[in-house]
Amino acid sequence: MTEEPFRWVEAIANRREYIEHQLASGSPIVALGYEGGALLLTFSRDRRKIFEIYDRIAVGAIGHPGDIERLRMTAIEVASTEGFTRSAQDVSLRRLAHYSLSPLLKNAFEQIYGPPFLARLLFVELGENGSPDLFLCLDYDGAIQASHSGFGGAQERFGVLGASVAATEAMSRWLAEKGKSVPDLKAALQLALEAWAVGHLQSVDDAVKPSDVEIQEHLKEQQAASSIEAMVLEKNAPPHLACRILAKTELDELLKSF
Amino acid sequence: MRDLTPSPALVSAGEDFPAVLRRHGAYPEPALATGVAANPVLIPTQATTILAFKFSGGVLVAGDRRATAGNTVVYDRADKVIEIDRHSLMAIAGVPATAWEMARVLEHSFQFFRRTQLQEMSLDGKVRALSKLLRDNLALVMQGVGMVAPIFAAFDTVSNQPRVYFYDALGAQFEVADFAATGSGSPAVRSVLHYENRWGKHPLRELKEPEALELALRSLETAAESDTATGGFDRRTGVYPIVKIIAAGGIVTIADDQLARLYRTRILR
Repeated sequence: MTEEPFRWVEAIANRREYIEHQLASGSPIVALGYEGGALLLTFSRDRRKIFEIYDRIAVGAIGHPGDIERLRMTAIEVASTEGFTRSAQDVSLRRLAHYSLSPLLKNAFEQIYGPPFLARLLFVELGENGSPDLFLCLDYDGAIQASHSGFGGAQERFGVLGASVAATEAMSRWLAEKGKSVPDLKAALQLALEAWAVGHLQSVDDAVKPSDVEIQEHLKEQQAASSIEAMVLEKNAPPHLACRILAKTELDELLKSF
Repeated sequence: MRDLTPSPALVSAGEDFPAVLRRHGAYPEPALATGVAANPVLIPTQATTILAFKFSGGVLVAGDRRATAGNTVVYDRADKVIEIDRHSLMAIAGVPATAWEMARVLEHSFQFFRRTQLQEMSLDGKVRALSKLLRDNLALVMQGVGMVAPIFAAFDTVSNQPRVYFYDALGAQFEVADFAATGSGSPAVRSVLHYENRWGKHPLRELKEPEALELALRSLETAAESDTATGGFDRRTGVYPIVKIIAAGGIVTIADDQLARLYRTRILR
């Protein structure tokens, strides 16, 4: 390959196209911060897509279940080992993503003779002591997109992951517009469901800017066809138990008037 | 760059957390049990006298606060009753270094299992996990260092009842019917609890919380009478024993002011 660098670039381009095609039909993931914590939400039919990684870190994933599983295991191992040898406060999503997972993903993507990870991840970390929550997208090629850089200044209070770049952008634009203040979990759920519909309609129907009616229709269809998977990361929870999957009864209660 | 891909074994069988730590080079291999004699110069710190019994409100676990090395009092605020997770406690008698390390490994192991396997470990699995840690520690115990005699108390959310286990140096677990006590002051405590359970006004299982607290504190005071390594209540420093109660809703630590009141009215008379 080093004798033909152009071939390598071509191979990478083919690889990218292949992976984007594989990921194109995934159900998007939406993450929102609200007053009491953060919410991760998606629709899932046959498998789990949202997982706890460590005390204040959770992840939602699109892609191949085998690759998602390996990445999830790696993340939990790295976080748990660090939490044990140092302390739970020392575990940070920024370092987990930048120093452990991103090089791993990039390496797998660029080794032409080896398989890449067919997965995209959206991580959420609850901020401690008043610092903002971190929403971080990790792509199959190791690219990182975070909601803030840690230097202060501009930050987003949400994270989105779509099956395609267009879907991600559509959701991001929609939430930047509508997601100015999210007072409680109920509001976060409603907003997240609508954002999900925007992203899903983009990948499924190529709908650029769906109306409210279209969004509600689509959500009704989806609630019949699959189920809402939602996890909350609560700020004032007992140690190790900040991440909690919302049970169906709780979801029904929160969505009653929706 | 370190290879971070988890080994295939992890994906199928699920290594336990100590094995994961060893793979990352963060935890020592269990030492081989050799015939090396105990080093007489090294006097390890010991932490002593813990007790646990089932009562009407769940399980009560209590421990004194004194840690000694030989005849030196090393620490008077040692924490010997450690919360492992929402429904389980480990009380330690023996060397604090080893015991606290075991409690820490257990705590992290249970969380690691829950996160990777997406289900809570069964109580039997948790009891066995401590057993394994003790077994791995055997070599050091035989060299005279690091002996730990813990009590593991938990609320079994499946069968909805409390369970208490104590262990020997090799890690065998013994389920307790009514009460358990370990540590240098434990013969006295065991005698008191046996007497109360057999001929007291009510068997231990039927005691209400105030009576159970009173009995636990009086037993520790009795042990402190005859054992130098067990600390009773120290009026000068106002340091009380640690008492925790496990019930279906979780673990409650009895506050110092409640213990102070009990001491004033029912014990120091």
